[in-house]
Amino acid sequence: MKKIGVVRFLGTNCDRDIWQAVEAKGYEPQWLWYENEFESSDYDAVIIPGGFSYGDYLRCGAMASKTPVMKSVVEFANSGKPVLGICNGFQVLCEVGLLPGALVRNHSGQFIDKWVVLKVENSCSHWGENVETCRLPIAHGEGCYHISEHDYKNIKDAGQVWLTYEDNPNGSVADVAGVMNAGKNVAGLMPHPERALFEWMGGQDGFNFF
Amino acid sequence: MKIGVKILPREEVLDSSGRTVTKTLQSNSFKVSDCRVGKYLEIEVDAKNEAEAKEQVQKMAEFVLYNPLTENYQLEVL
Amino acid sequence: MSLNEKLKKYRLSESEYQLICDQLGREPQGVEWALYSALWSEHCSYKSSKVHLKKLFNKSEKVLQSFGENAGVIDLGQGERVAFKMESHNHPSFIEPYQGAATGVGGILRDIFTMGARPVALANYLCFGESKADRMETLVKGVVSGISGYGNCVGVPNITGQTEFHSSYNNNILVNAFALGLYRPGEKVFTAKASGPGNLVVYVGAKTGRDGVHGASMASESFDDNNDAKKPNVQIGDPFFEKLLIESCIEVMRDDLVVAIQDMGAAGLTSSSFEMASSGGVGFNIALDKVPLRDGQMMPEEILLSESQERMLLICEPKNLAKIEAVFAKWNLDATAIGEVTENKMIKLTWHNEVLCEIDPDHLVENAPLYNRPYNEWTSPNKVDALQMNECNDLQDSLLKQLSSEQGCARNWIYDQYDQRVGAQTISDCSGSVGMVRLPDSERALGVVLGCRPHVMRIDSQVGGYDSIAYPSLELAAKGFETIAVTDCLNFGNPEKPELMSEFVASVQAMSEQCEKLNAPIISGNVSLYNETNDNNITSTPATGLVGVRDTLTGPANAFQGEGDVVLLAQLKQASLSGMHSELNGGKEQFCGAVDAGEVAQFNQFIRELVTSNNVTSSRVVGKFGLAYALAKMTSVGVGCEVTTEKATGSNLTEKYFAEHLYQVVLTLPEKDWESLQSNSFPFELNAIGKTTAGQFKVDDQINLTAEQVSNAYSSWTTHFEKLS
Repeated sequence: MKKIGVVRFLGTNCDRDIWQAVEAKGYEPQWLWYENEFESSDYDAVIIPGGFSYGDYLRCGAMASKTPVMKSVVEFANSGKPVLGICNGFQVLCEVGLLPGALVRNHSGQFIDKWVVLKVENSCSHWGENVETCRLPIAHGEGCYHISEHDYKNIKDAGQVWLTYEDNPNGSVADVAGVMNAGKNVAGLMPHPERALFEWMGGQDGFNFF
Repeated sequence: MKIGVKILPREEVLDSSGRTVTKTLQSNSFKVSDCRVGKYLEIEVDAKNEAEAKEQVQKMAEFVLYNPLTENYQLEVL
Repeated sequence: MSLNEKLKKYRLSESEYQLICDQLGREPQGVEWALYSALWSEHCSYKSSKVHLKKLFNKSEKVLQSFGENAGVIDLGQGERVAFKMESHNHPSFIEPYQGAATGVGGILRDIFTMGARPVALANYLCFGESKADRMETLVKGVVSGISGYGNCVGVPNITGQTEFHSSYNNNILVNAFALGLYRPGEKVFTAKASGPGNLVVYVGAKTGRDGVHGASMASESFDDNNDAKKPNVQIGDPFFEKLLIESCIEVMRDDLVVAIQDMGAAGLTSSSFEMASSGGVGFNIALDKVPLRDGQMMPEEILLSESQERMLLICEPKNLAKIEAVFAKWNLDATAIGEVTENKMIKLTWHNEVLCEIDPDHLVENAPLYNRPYNEWTSPNKVDALQMNECNDLQDSLLKQLSSEQGCARNWIYDQYDQRVGAQTISDCSGSVGMVRLPDSERALGVVLGCRPHVMRIDSQVGGYDSIAYPSLELAAKGFETIAVTDCLNFGNPEKPELMSEFVASVQAMSEQCEKLNAPIISGNVSLYNETNDNNITSTPATGLVGVRDTLTGPANAFQGEGDVVLLAQLKQASLSGMHSELNGGKEQFCGAVDAGEVAQFNQFIRELVTSNNVTSSRVVGKFGLAYALAKMTSVGVGCEVTTEKATGSNLTEKYFAEHLYQVVLTLPEKDWESLQSNSFPFELNAIGKTTAGQFKVDDQINLTAEQVSNAYSSWTTHFEKLS
């Protein structure tokens, strides 16, 4: 059975949600506590859940990116193994430099919770294979994807733009909702696939992301 | 010794709170053409002189305090 | 300071002063003044309302914990239990809307997890003034972002709510927060009952600062024009810290390291320690100098009364202290022993070994004064023999006006700012009439609805009281839920005015009777009095929170689902109200008929059985603005309806469309299901009134709109709140 490490920082609040999603897929979840480093060989994949690590104080994801567990996540990613960051997890991956760009305050200045339609620009073989378009909920205050024009051209040409919004909710550059690293083993997205696993949740398009 | 760290959003990044403050001031008949909202940190360090103190805080700024993709920072001795 | 000055400073009356002297056999001294001031305030003692609250229907075989604890606990069967409660934060929110609302959320969450339950749902009942009233946009914005900022960060989903706008709240808004926590099978219920002499009193969480000193007695006062001067009293919340507190407290409780636990809410350390000792029948020795302080200059009285947020008091056996410290350290928090439990029922407070006071906790808690404030029997001044509403010339235009009014328009500007799905158990969010989360062990649905319709209260306090329970309970039934239990938050004006006390008594008695008929006990609650500014009282607003259970995860939708379904109207036919339509158009507030709580309960059961045993595709209880508005709200995503109103209650079209008849429910069924069902005899009126159609909304030959026209009118929030767009 695949073993999935689920990272927990102080303030992470979608940790149990990811645990539920990983179990629903028939994989084995294990907690990765922020204070501890881990062995890459012990896990098949690592997921960084959403939430408000360190209260989003200073800057979303900034303090989480400096924790011991992230040292191991970087090594894990550099060995080519799959890493997924959702919402705050995406922000952490940008802060630690595994993913390009940064996430800043939504253009409206407000937190937004709603369902959005996404288009898959380039498929990610590890996460969300066989998905073309999908409907997932977002829930964030700082989900506006920012990247310089020059860097955007680079990631676009390299096929690193993973997901885009059909109707941009937050002002993201080029409607970007999710990106990958150059090796395409590390991916991050603002929407929450773990909140769209079953019909009773209002949709099941998230099931294929895990 | 106390060092101040002034952090502001970069020019090209939309500053949504700055925009909101600008609007509020304007709608209350203040003559404002622009406003940026950032943050200010006061950091107390042990250092022999200003240069050493600034050097220490600069390291901290680059370690975690600001994000070069979206923000600029300036240091000042207090 | 003269005696009169002291009484004024500590907000005690002369008769209360006499009572204190009788209790102590002497005059109060030193910090005793502050203790009595806080614990005998209306906010802590419920002295004006308690004689009536004691009569509330509060028992059923499912009640595990009722009043007297931080929250009520109810057994859902199959090992699952829930703790829930609702609480007001009206005064702080009016003074500083962001922090007031945020700390309201923080406080109600602590009430829940202090019982050992993990919070899984939040809801908010908000009453604002008219959009054009002074400061109102700032207040709406501040309150909504305060709730959003706190609730989203702690990671508890906001699943339902109610927002009202009326001029009676222009100078006194209502911010009532509801929270619910879940015990999964095998998890233990904790209480605040201290026990075991020699056990330690442990302080955990944030350090104590000057925030909110005298907050409890402030909340027991009316507003005047000097509210700015009250600002330093407002507490500041830190949702990140609260999140750590939730996780660490639940961990020490799951590890069974705790004897009793209580949060430090109103009147802070004073109320938590005195209430814990009093309810456990023990005493405490507390060294106030051991309380961790944010500001080292603080004096004992300030320490006792501080309302700094995110703090808890717990009792543990001495051998468990080290383990408790380790759990809190893991979550970056401190735990500090500040005293011990004693055999004799006395609270001894010391300050650097000097005894400040030694006092029986019952004096301050159990034996606080009770007032039976004067009131009159309810006489229903707005009751008429038959409704006399002004007939509308243009019914379609009137409906569009309702849909786009601030009372009738969509509230999604508010709830889109709340995280409604964190926890990944949300079945139905704020866009539906019932907020629902999944019970993960039994795979059932738990439903939450908030109640009290202020416009009904303005017509009649007794009808409004019944309605505060009957209407939300029917909303649960229309989605197939059985109502299990109730919490309330009674927001009223000055209880020393007999006309307001009469409204209080009439509505609370009616609520209790309706709860009894539904076998849904009231298990927790809060009273907020003195909601008046310069002698203007708010609409009496007994807000409620109802909790229900359904055996299946999915049920009827809120909107029409597909073309060709039969539209049914179920009617109870008791009272009819001129309602919100009249209010909007300057008509007279009136009602005819009467509410029979027993029949309401039977109708509720009829609707629930209809929903659970048939393939009901969508459902909606007819509410504000009457039948036409309800049908319009079900018209969306391209599916409308074509109905006739021959069978609807009302002596003319205006009454059929816009009067509010208690009670009506609209349901849809696939045609062939209705064919086999219609030959049955029903205990209540159930008639087919039309069919669902593609994209068009037609009522008789009076209303003919496209689904788009309906939704455009309904989404007109920004015309009322330009700056909030």
